[in-house]
Amino acid sequence: MMSLAARSGALSPYLQATKHTVKSLVFPGATELVPAAAPGGIRLAHTDLKIPDFNDYRRLEVIDPKKSSQESSEGRRAFSYLVTGATTVVGVYAAKTVVTQFVSSMSASADVLALSKIEIKLSDIPEGKNMTFKWRGKPLFVRHRTEKEIDAEAAVNIAELRDPEHDKDRVVNPKWVIVLGVCTHLGCVPIANAGDFGGYYCPCHGSHYDASGRIRKGPAPLNLEVPYYEFPDEDTVIVG
Amino acid sequence: MKGIRGISQLSRRFYVAARADQSLAQPLAGIKLSPGAAHTYQDVHVTRLPSGLVIASLENYSPASKIGVFVKAGCRYETPDNQGVTHLLRLASNLTTKGASAFKICRGIEAVGGSLSVTSTRENMIYTVDCLRNDIDTVMEYLINVTTAPEFRPWEVSDLTPRVKMDKAQAAQNTQIAVVEGLHEAAYKNALCNSLYCPDHMVGNIQAEHLHQFVQNNFTSARMALVGLGIDHAVLKQVGEQFLNIRSGAGTTGAKAQYRGGEIRLASISSLVHSAVVSQSAAAGTNEALAFSVLQHLLGAGPHVKRGSNASNKLVQGVAKATADPFDVSAFNASYSDSGLFGVYTISQVAAAGDVIKAALAQVKAVADGGVTAADLTRAKAQLKGQFLMSLETSEGFLEAMGTQALADGSYRSPEEISKNIDNVSLSDVANAAKKFVSGKKTMASSGNLIKTPFVDEI
Repeated sequence: MMSLAARSGALSPYLQATKHTVKSLVFPGATELVPAAAPGGIRLAHTDLKIPDFNDYRRLEVIDPKKSSQESSEGRRAFSYLVTGATTVVGVYAAKTVVTQFVSSMSASADVLALSKIEIKLSDIPEGKNMTFKWRGKPLFVRHRTEKEIDAEAAVNIAELRDPEHDKDRVVNPKWVIVLGVCTHLGCVPIANAGDFGGYYCPCHGSHYDASGRIRKGPAPLNLEVPYYEFPDEDTVIVG
Repeated sequence: MKGIRGISQLSRRFYVAARADQSLAQPLAGIKLSPGAAHTYQDVHVTRLPSGLVIASLENYSPASKIGVFVKAGCRYETPDNQGVTHLLRLASNLTTKGASAFKICRGIEAVGGSLSVTSTRENMIYTVDCLRNDIDTVMEYLINVTTAPEFRPWEVSDLTPRVKMDKAQAAQNTQIAVVEGLHEAAYKNALCNSLYCPDHMVGNIQAEHLHQFVQNNFTSARMALVGLGIDHAVLKQVGEQFLNIRSGAGTTGAKAQYRGGEIRLASISSLVHSAVVSQSAAAGTNEALAFSVLQHLLGAGPHVKRGSNASNKLVQGVAKATADPFDVSAFNASYSDSGLFGVYTISQVAAAGDVIKAALAQVKAVADGGVTAADLTRAKAQLKGQFLMSLETSEGFLEAMGTQALADGSYRSPEEISKNIDNVSLSDVANAAKKFVSGKKTMASSGNLIKTPFVDEI
């Protein structure tokens, strides 16, 4: 009954006072938008959120909020992109270096690599003599050729050879011929200073090689293999 | 075979036995009803606990629930040394309580999307929470904390002073509030003369002890009602029994309001003069109060058609003959538990103020002298019924109706019953009510440029 009488009429809202503590439904067009309306509840972005001052981190051209940032935009963009690009390039190179270093650490170590070379003192080998060394598990022939042998090999007609190679293509210094002592037929070790051509003769199946290690007669298909070698000075050769 | 059948029958018997104490008048708990279900499942249930706490609820199966704690602790219960304490209480609803800090209350209610608000009238303080059905427990905890266990920490209370000032400033901007507060101040000697807002001399002088004292003396179980909408009655009853029984007794009884009839003039430079002329009417709950309500609508209680011509509004038509300038007039009616005010509220231009007031009062006198037809009476009753029933359509209005009724007399009268009571108001009742106004001692409150506004003894 009291509610009935007290609520009718245009002035009933003024007979009471309401305070919101937490108001979860604030519709657009609501009259009470001030934070005092529901101090426990309403936060307004334009007054209650304090944004800190970030000027310490800004570029000089954009500190003034009233100036347009369009004029400086190209310069700022160019600088940023340049720095980014340069850093990327440097980064890529650094990455490549690191990766190759790590990957190559898995390849053969120095002591193993050291086993792959052989150093030969040439003054120990007299002229006309062939010396055999064990290199990488295979026999290595080092032959000190005479002048007669050199000339004879140089004069050979390449068209007649099964595996045509001129002598000068097979030696660095014509006085020394260095070849692998493995027959290219089935892998036996040829005998030095034997055979019909003054070179090597393989006793297994009868392959004749000449003083340059080229196949002249017999079942072998290719010339004796020439490894990589170099002469650091007159008296030594390093093969491998 | 028989044994197996016997076992199943046994379990069925136990089922029935378990349900033996289930009342056939109460709805089954936890059952979802289809839309075509019976009407009785949506009755308002009212229970009065032995401690005096009244619990009222309606289960309307809506997805959102509203719970209110209604306390007879309006500003009429303020004493001269703690005037304005209810204003502070209204603002203090988000402060730290024994079970939850201020942050927890705010964060907890926000987290479930609920709302908490406090409304205070001259008679009651109403704490309302609303939330979704499933979150009742969470917000109920905060509601109980705020109403029964506030801590009123001194530094938090002193932080409320700027908010009191802000509130008063906002209220002062509204002339109607100023006039209504002034009207009550002039009309009564005590109790009902207290303002809803803290008086100037007490701003900053209300301490935490005042708040504690006021809550101790007035927030007692016998003066509280726990009201719920969209909640099960059993649940609410359990909450009421467990948590709202801390302060027993009736607390301090308020003084009976003494009507004195005076005048208050609030001068300002505004070009609109607001003026309210009232006289003592009847206490709420009596048939006389209902007659005054019908009289209010008979005379005119605000526009019914937006931007309409107010053709059925007697006051507006009468005053329109007295002035051509813009004006507004409506009947003012306020009822409290032991007294009431009835009169006219006018808004007019400065020069026409006296004519407008006199014309409005003449209209009321015409009703008192019997110038009311049966058609007018029917129209007024229909308008009153319409306004009342439409106010029950919103959940806020319905909760308020349930709560004020529960608090006033511990029961709930259905809208049909109230409509019937309205229909029983006769022409003589209305005429007597108007005569009471005409012959009673008048109170007047005016605001604006009062150069042409008459005094209360001149009207």
